Amino acid sequence: MKVHLKIKRFNPEKDSKSWWGEYDVNVDPTDRVLDALHLVKWYQDGTFNVRRSCAHGVCGSDAVRINGQNRLACKVLIQDIVKNDGDTITVEPILGLPVIKDLIVDMEPFFDHYKSVMPYFVNDEALPADGRERLQNIADRERYDQGTKCILCACCTTSCPSFWLNDDYVGPAAVVQAHRFIFDSRDRAAEERLKILNEQMGVWRCRTAFNCTNACPREIPVTQLIGEVKKALATGEIR
Amino acid sequence: MSAISSTPTVRKAAAPPTFETRMWQFMRLSGVLLIPLVWIHVALKDVIVGVHAIDLNYVQKIWAITAWRVYDMALLAFAFGHGMNGLRHVANDYFHSKSAQKIMAWAILIGWIVITAIGGIAIIGGVNMP
Repeated sequence: MKVHLKIKRFNPEKDSKSWWGEYDVNVDPTDRVLDALHLVKWYQDGTFNVRRSCAHGVCGSDAVRINGQNRLACKVLIQDIVKNDGDTITVEPILGLPVIKDLIVDMEPFFDHYKSVMPYFVNDEALPADGRERLQNIADRERYDQGTKCILCACCTTSCPSFWLNDDYVGPAAVVQAHRFIFDSRDRAAEERLKILNEQMGVWRCRTAFNCTNACPREIPVTQLIGEVKKALATGEIR
Repeated sequence: MSAISSTPTVRKAAAPPTFETRMWQFMRLSGVLLIPLVWIHVALKDVIVGVHAIDLNYVQKIWAITAWRVYDMALLAFAFGHGMNGLRHVANDYFHSKSAQKIMAWAILIGWIVITAIGGIAIIGGVNMP
């Protein structure tokens, strides 16, 4: 089938502002949007750029805005977003981060927020007597399971209206990462992380728009996890 | 053996409450209270009595009952406080520098105090018919 791709283009060396590039490509309904983007780059315009690595929904590097929604280009099938032959698909870079070129954005501000919440395991207590791993019951392991699914694609943070309007906000992805360790019963730095998030540009900037939950390609209930961090802050209890 | 227990461990982790923590709690509390406060207000003033029938006589009559004064005071405190704190958050969408945010927060706080005071004085003072 034929699809019409409308891609937001920007080359900082040539363009003063972004523009729409339009391309017709022949694809199978079971192809992914990433395949269609490859057809443009490989056969129509080699100057077009999109970032991707694994191309199978694991690395999270090809987050783009497809028909107005943040998605991984490698996980969206053509048949799921177009109905008829010749239908248009719009593809833009994710919002709220500086565009480097075409669909590629600068992820550094996103990773700065990620790093700010101490996204690593902290426990300086002595090792268990057998010198092996710190055991955890099934319920304790399940408690933070959702957060472990995050692939840092930035689909959630860049779909958040609070982040669009003020990029000082740590953003949903950073809160999810903090949640993953705050709710890990083996970790000992929950208070420090909660302190970092207990600011207006921390967890309190979330206005429960739920865009993040809708955007997450890993189906993490992002807004719920943010709510759990808020509750931990309000009650002083991690449960 | 704890490794096969099936209930999650409850831990204490108290980050010292900040102004933002308190305001979030206030927004939750006032948000819940606003549901009955506002709907009763709308039903009474707009549907049962009707805005065109509200005059000084009506206000004097309803404020003769202390409970209605308490009700209006609660509506003023929670609805207006909720709205003004919301406005402070919205202002931060557009004012990004720390100093501008501070000025806006103070302006909103002063506006909130002045208007709440005027409303409070009116409710406590009641209606003095000429």
